[in-house]
Amino acid sequence: MLPATALALAVLAALLAWPVPAALSRARWPRRDPVAALVCWQAVGLAGGLSMIGALLVHGLAPWGHSLPEAWWHWVTRQPAGEPVRGHHWVAQTLAAILAAELLGVLLLSWVRTARTRRRHRELLELVVRPGAAATPAAEAQLLEHPAPVAFCIPGARPLLVLSSGMVAELDDAQLRAVVAHERAHLRERHHLLLLPFVAWRAALPVLPAADRAHDAVRDLVEMRADDVALASLTGPDPRRTLAAAIVAAVGGPGGAVPSGALAVTGGAVAVRVRRLLAPAEPLSRAGRTGALCSAVALLLVPTLLLLLPALVA
Amino acid sequence: MASLGELERAVMERLWASGGPVSAPELRDQLADRGLALTTVHTVLTRLEQKGFVVHDEARPRRFAPRASREEHAAELMSEVLGQAADRQAVLARFVGSVGDDEVRMLRELLAAADPDGAGAR
Repeated sequence: MLPATALALAVLAALLAWPVPAALSRARWPRRDPVAALVCWQAVGLAGGLSMIGALLVHGLAPWGHSLPEAWWHWVTRQPAGEPVRGHHWVAQTLAAILAAELLGVLLLSWVRTARTRRRHRELLELVVRPGAAATPAAEAQLLEHPAPVAFCIPGARPLLVLSSGMVAELDDAQLRAVVAHERAHLRERHHLLLLPFVAWRAALPVLPAADRAHDAVRDLVEMRADDVALASLTGPDPRRTLAAAIVAAVGGPGGAVPSGALAVTGGAVAVRVRRLLAPAEPLSRAGRTGALCSAVALLLVPTLLLLLPALVA
Repeated sequence: MASLGELERAVMERLWASGGPVSAPELRDQLADRGLALTTVHTVLTRLEQKGFVVHDEARPRRFAPRASREEHAAELMSEVLGQAADRQAVLARFVGSVGDDEVRMLRELLAAADPDGAGAR
């Protein structure tokens, strides 16, 4: 039973390491339904890690039993293996342990590192910002004296929403409201938590081009999601246009643009955001959305069942 | 009662406003309206020093000075925000990242082309 399981998991891991993320990042439907797409990406990440480690573990423990739970139990309780243990079994076990430790360790490290940088930024900000004037769109934000039009938020237990004075000067009230609503959406939906694993795993698996694609796709999708949430809370004749104009004003203001080439990687994502605001595509149909969500669930179920099922069948 | 963060701000304001280094008792006197104990002033100064916002000299009593001006701190922060690597989105979520000037031109055209007034005139 076990060799077949290991093979199936390895095939799944290979699919999730390249073709699936490549297809998902090329697909055009995610921009019509960022939420469903974000669920899919999280499933791809989780299932990818699970099947990669699972394949190694299942192969490494094969001599100890006919299913992973059984083999694992025998191995942990130091019972003798039922079949001869060869070198490649030990190699697979070691690799599984290293990979698991690396993925979890890097995740923890990223968490600590971003938390530290955030704290440093917050300390600096608390000294130099002043609260936005009451009864203006900037009322719930902090103002930072700087000519470049910049808005950002620092997530955490004490979130901080910051607008530069350049941003306030560049944008009208309706546009500022749109910017604040967008940033508030990031904070309320904890988008930084959706992005963190992909930041970590890109660092952990630099050889995997899919880790890069996945990170960029998730980063762009949370921006689209924040745009969508902001739109829902905006009043006014044409909130879509207001938000699009705010984006264009923010990138086009003094200090907003950088010489072409310096930041070629992020190019395109902003244009996609502006385009989907100005010419919105039909939202994903109910069937399409259900299909996407079911695929995500299936993606998680397949490796889980492969790891546990032989024990139930046997 | 004022929070420590707010006190830190007030102390930094005093340090920035004063021309040269200031001792803790002088600071307490300058903030007399808050009725601070000297130990509180010391606590705040120590915290600010740990954060790297304040330096002290070796005079007796010690005198404290800001490490950088408010503008310099703001500039330092902004250079980090503006020059942020792509993975900084996990640290702070910026409304929109930096884009090239070619793309800015293209985005402006996109916006102008979708102008409802322009569409009406067509």
